[in-house]
Amino acid sequence: MSTPPNQQRREESAGLMEYSTESLVPFGPIHPALKEPEYFKLVLEGERIVKVIPRIGYVHRGLEKAAESRPWVQNMYMFERTCGICSFVHSLCYGQAVEELTLYQVPRRAKYIRTIIAEMERIHSHLLWVGLMGHWAGFDTLFMWVWNDREVVLDLVEAISGNRVHKSMNAFCGVRRDMPENMEDRIVERMKFLTDRARYYRDVIDTEETMLKRTENIGRVSADTAEKLCAVGPMARYVGLKRDVRLNDPYAAYDEVPLDVITTTQGDVHALLRLRLDELVASANMVTYAVKNLPDGPIRVKIPPIIPAGEHSSHCEAPRGEIFYFVKSSGGRTPERVKSRQPTMANLPTALELLKGQTLADIPVVLTAIDPCFGCMDRMSFYDTETNRSWTWSGEELRQYGINYYFPERSKKQHGLTKGDGPLTNRCLRDGF
Amino acid sequence: MSETLSQLGKYAEEAGTKVTSLRKNESTVEVSQDRLKAFLAHLVNDVHVRHLMTITGLDLGQTLAVIYNFSLERDTIHVRTLVPKAKPVAASICDIVPGAVLYEMELHDMFGIEFVGNPLKDQKLLPPEEWPADLPPPLLKTTKADQIRRRLGLEAAKP
Amino acid sequence: MPVKKTGAAVPEMFRFMLEKPSTEAYPFKSIQLPQRFRGKLDIDPAKCTGCQVCSLVCPASVITMVDLGTRKVGDRELKIRRPLFDLSTCIFCGECVDNCAFNALELTKQFETATPNKADLLMNKAIVK
Repeated sequence: MSTPPNQQRREESAGLMEYSTESLVPFGPIHPALKEPEYFKLVLEGERIVKVIPRIGYVHRGLEKAAESRPWVQNMYMFERTCGICSFVHSLCYGQAVEELTLYQVPRRAKYIRTIIAEMERIHSHLLWVGLMGHWAGFDTLFMWVWNDREVVLDLVEAISGNRVHKSMNAFCGVRRDMPENMEDRIVERMKFLTDRARYYRDVIDTEETMLKRTENIGRVSADTAEKLCAVGPMARYVGLKRDVRLNDPYAAYDEVPLDVITTTQGDVHALLRLRLDELVASANMVTYAVKNLPDGPIRVKIPPIIPAGEHSSHCEAPRGEIFYFVKSSGGRTPERVKSRQPTMANLPTALELLKGQTLADIPVVLTAIDPCFGCMDRMSFYDTETNRSWTWSGEELRQYGINYYFPERSKKQHGLTKGDGPLTNRCLRDGF
Repeated sequence: MSETLSQLGKYAEEAGTKVTSLRKNESTVEVSQDRLKAFLAHLVNDVHVRHLMTITGLDLGQTLAVIYNFSLERDTIHVRTLVPKAKPVAASICDIVPGAVLYEMELHDMFGIEFVGNPLKDQKLLPPEEWPADLPPPLLKTTKADQIRRRLGLEAAKP
Repeated sequence: MPVKKTGAAVPEMFRFMLEKPSTEAYPFKSIQLPQRFRGKLDIDPAKCTGCQVCSLVCPASVITMVDLGTRKVGDRELKIRRPLFDLSTCIFCGECVDNCAFNALELTKQFETATPNKADLLMNKAIVK
């Protein structure tokens, strides 16, 4: 006794409209790795998105459950592998949460080294993101050039820690390896190079007409909404909220190294581009300062493998936002509970608010703008309220659609599509959905 | 004690509890379920502690603890409430803090706590489609990793 | 107010055309690795005493201790154990290297470890006499 498909969809759609309130969006938690599948259901009216219903948890690895059966130090390596781009900050946050339960202090030199590596990771992450924005907006040359410059910071990280991605530098109450000999001049020179390149890219995105067309006045959300939905990181700073854990609650050496927190009230995707490039320059300055003023002393205090009982939480500023770890110990060799909250999860409600009212062609740019720690749409499923039809597009098809939508002269030659005359329907008919 | 915490102490007294300082800049308040929403309304509207970092769940044996982790400048404030395991029903705070939707849904999937008033509480989010209906929530101490693996048909990983 | 134009990146393009390519010429030329590069694990069997600390600290369960008999010390029978490494799950963290009190372990610069035969990644240098 099943309802016919059309009626089923109308019922489903009616139920969705019922749920629709102003600042609540349907969504789910934990986003571990870099590129992963997620499933969005968009409710469209013509070209505009009315509602987004995602379905995630495809790469949920059960890290919190696994942490309960592993010794403390092994968990540090496991949580480092939560993410490839912000791996150091994950192990730092977990380490800080556990260190406070012991009675040992972190040496000052270790704090400076942690700051240096964390800021280098931020530079790497922002360069990666600027390249991805270029790719999804169709500006592949920018993507290639930025990722070429990213090799500079990856080489530095490899020289210090031995690996480009999973640095494994953190230990409880210290760092595992000291800075190599004679690295200071090389680091200062490379930071200057990256600063010049960041300024050049900022020039390009400010003047290049194609980039401006794709990113200006897109992805707006009000500061009040962002605050109510607990946005973190650049997603809070681009609407004017001065939320940065390094400023509000300094950890590692951030109370000694001069910090420049950048906010803007421009409030669109173009502002996010400028914000992250400015943050890159600020991070490069911090690394230069920290390297020149590195204090002497030990880099590590060895602690016993049993952590005293208690609860503690810690938060850090990852490139994407605020990471939060909560650790509970019952005095044994393994933790009793570890809770980790990644920044993309905190930003998801805000991200979905951003999508409402955007056109279909802007989805790749807007979703990349939130700098998700999951892949930018491997598969998107569409449902048209007017014709009751649903179909699926791959990420590459959506990206191509966006380029064709904005630059119809090029697409006219290729597909015979023009902007605004119902390209959705044309595409459906052409591709036989 | 900072001004925030002294204001907090006043509202905590009204709710019949007190603020305990765990260490510098970190305090915890334990509130009973029925006084929770009033206390949180004071916290958000009067003391201006707007940023909810996350909601953590803990399995304490016979009860489940729901900890709301708030942050304001240098202070971290944990608001703790207990829910009995036999009847894990709690009140949702989505009308006070709209950003709590996802966190409550996660707790529902991981611990089985039902948040009354969450607009999306009936949607299953984290577990895969083939999650058996009679398999208990994963993060409870009584649910073993082997049990989950076996029921989901995954081969046992190397110990 | 910056002037909008198309082709803001074109002058840079000419610079890239004249420079040498950024692509590493591997495998036709060898790669320069930094001194701290963490590659495949290696053990010096002469230095290993079988204290089993490496197998206790490994996060990825790479090391298993194998019993190789006993020896007499005074009037006690002591077990002889040596480690067996299954390097297919190694995460190159270096915990074993840091914790070995006898400096028997080392992370070399070898990174070309891909093989269709998993048995190649079983390192039993410490066991085989």
